[in-house]
Amino acid sequence: MKLKTSQTIAGFTLCEMLVSLSLSSIVLAAAITCGISLQKSFSAVDNYFTTHMQQIRIIDYLNRDVKRGLIVTTSVDLQTVTMSVPSYIIQTGDPEAVANPSLVGTPRTPTIAYTSSGWQVNYTASPVTVVYSISGSSILRTENGVVTTIASSTDQLVPQSTDVELANTEYANTSVTFLPIFTSGNAVASRTGTSMYATAYLRNKRRG
Amino acid sequence: MRISIRPFERGNVLLCVLCTILVVSVIGGNVLLNCMTRYNAASSQVRSWKESLDAAETGGDIAYAEIRKTILDPSHAFTGWTYSGGVYTPNSSVTYGKDNLSTSARVDAFYYDSNGNPWYRIRTQGTAPVAGLKRVGMDDRMGPNTRGDSLLRKVDFNYDHFVATYGANGDGMNKTLVPVSQPQVTRRVELIVAPITPFEAAIKAVGTFYGLGDAAMIDSYNSANGAYYFTANNPSDPHYSDSRSGNVEIDSAVATIRGMLYGNVATNGGTIVRSNQIAGTIDNNVPFTVPPFKMPTDFPTPQSSPTKVPGNSTVTVNPPAAGSAQSPISYLFSSFTGHLVVNQYASSQTYVDIHVTSDVTGTIDITPNVHARIYFDGNVNVKARDVVNESGIAANLQFYGISPTDPSVSQSIAIGPPGSYAATFYAPSADFSLTGNPDITGAIVCKTFYGNGNTTWHYDRQLDKVGDAVDYRVINYVEDIR
Repeated sequence: MKLKTSQTIAGFTLCEMLVSLSLSSIVLAAAITCGISLQKSFSAVDNYFTTHMQQIRIIDYLNRDVKRGLIVTTSVDLQTVTMSVPSYIIQTGDPEAVANPSLVGTPRTPTIAYTSSGWQVNYTASPVTVVYSISGSSILRTENGVVTTIASSTDQLVPQSTDVELANTEYANTSVTFLPIFTSGNAVASRTGTSMYATAYLRNKRRG
Repeated sequence: MRISIRPFERGNVLLCVLCTILVVSVIGGNVLLNCMTRYNAASSQVRSWKESLDAAETGGDIAYAEIRKTILDPSHAFTGWTYSGGVYTPNSSVTYGKDNLSTSARVDAFYYDSNGNPWYRIRTQGTAPVAGLKRVGMDDRMGPNTRGDSLLRKVDFNYDHFVATYGANGDGMNKTLVPVSQPQVTRRVELIVAPITPFEAAIKAVGTFYGLGDAAMIDSYNSANGAYYFTANNPSDPHYSDSRSGNVEIDSAVATIRGMLYGNVATNGGTIVRSNQIAGTIDNNVPFTVPPFKMPTDFPTPQSSPTKVPGNSTVTVNPPAAGSAQSPISYLFSSFTGHLVVNQYASSQTYVDIHVTSDVTGTIDITPNVHARIYFDGNVNVKARDVVNESGIAANLQFYGISPTDPSVSQSIAIGPPGSYAATFYAPSADFSLTGNPDITGAIVCKTFYGNGNTTWHYDRQLDKVGDAVDYRVINYVEDIR
């Protein structure tokens, strides 16, 4: 008996199959490896920029408050910043608001006083206290007891501020450093701290 | 064996390739999307947020310049602005820079001090367009109490959130939806601009400074608390806080300070060699300007006589009325080489202004309760004992040196021994020299200062509150962060 060989049902030889499977495996392995690497890289870059944005935010928050501040004080370890800022907007419960509730949410007209250090512009008898502090992996901003988390990262995000007093005013030097998360073989890989620096001057004459 | 390749079997390969491209594209697109959002926030929004503050402060500078003109160039102050309801507003907002920043301001005088000098409030806003995609940042998801970037940087994508929520002036009035032509950030700042009175420091020199002697001393007191006595080294004294304002301000790097100084020292790039002699703070980075002094345009019409104080004679001025700080009794002298006595009117506080169009080389005696201001066009060359201010209150005898209009013409004030005096000098174009060892109560503003004696100098803190404004400065800054 003679078997007919049909060209329409021609297949691969075992050799061809082995070669193609080998090549396919190599290509697939390469693709998976590339994909994992890409994903890790993307994750690392995404995490880096997320933390970088938080660096910028911390600096911007601090600088905004320093510029309008009356006093800026940093702790000995340089990780807590306390500042007094004018109470510009009338809030619920303020004496003006009690007398006239429609004034809530409106800017105050300041009063002028002559003190032992010269003329002073006062929006209220007591300015608002704003504190920047670290709590775990978060950076907190506390204004009149209200806490806002302005940054949160597991990248060892560490702000440091130094206030420098001048004759009439002062300025604050701030640096925010973090160590980007990056692992290799489930171990923390070599990494370098990324720092951002900023200097902001008080626009107001320093008090105290 | 020959394997035929049929066209209908090529589809598998094409499909695989397309799927691979699709997967890679999705990954790439995701990466790009995230990168663009980060870029959007990091570059466009952060930049616009910072630039809008720059624009707001620019608007403040423009308004501040107009306020200064009310003193330095009154005829051109607030030209191009509209005054309505006590508020100045510019006829049009200012747009500048390649990023099309825009700014506008409102100015009103909200307070008048005891000298009648207005204090101004500037409310200014600056707007910066936000380039790029109309998207918020990706970091508004950190926690229940956190909204990340949008809590700090308020981007108006479709409507001006401030006008919609707080009204155009932030007072809750006229709240309305105002569409914005493109995404933008607006920041608002309030500045308080205060008048600069002539005598805010014991000594203020625009140029070089040398003095005083090694055994000299500068301190301060407050005449409102009584006569001067030394208390600068006694913290338990009730008037101690008034005793350490003997400030010296020098807009020059050439600053040789000798003697004991109970106050602060400010220079413009100077080096203080004997800082242990200074009880207050030292700041060598304080540049300032003192504009030339012009004869006040509102100087009242002078009395018909006397018109001069000739040498070897005594001229007595008996004012016909008490006058007031705003409307004093005035005199115009063509010379001042003799002896001048100014008496009070009846038992009233008497206000007298004298304009001397020549040098001052005579002697002057101001009786108690007289408040005299001497404006001089030329130089002053007198002995300290020739300046007699019987009240002992320096503010009661104020000398003002009119700056020469010709810059090649110099002006000088020379005070020699013997004697002491209580008076103030405001002469920003004059070279001031002080010799001998006088006891001085008062203040001086001059171009250059030289004093080689062991002078004791007492600055009266009441001087900080007297006199018409000679300029303005921004004294307070607050941002409306809503």
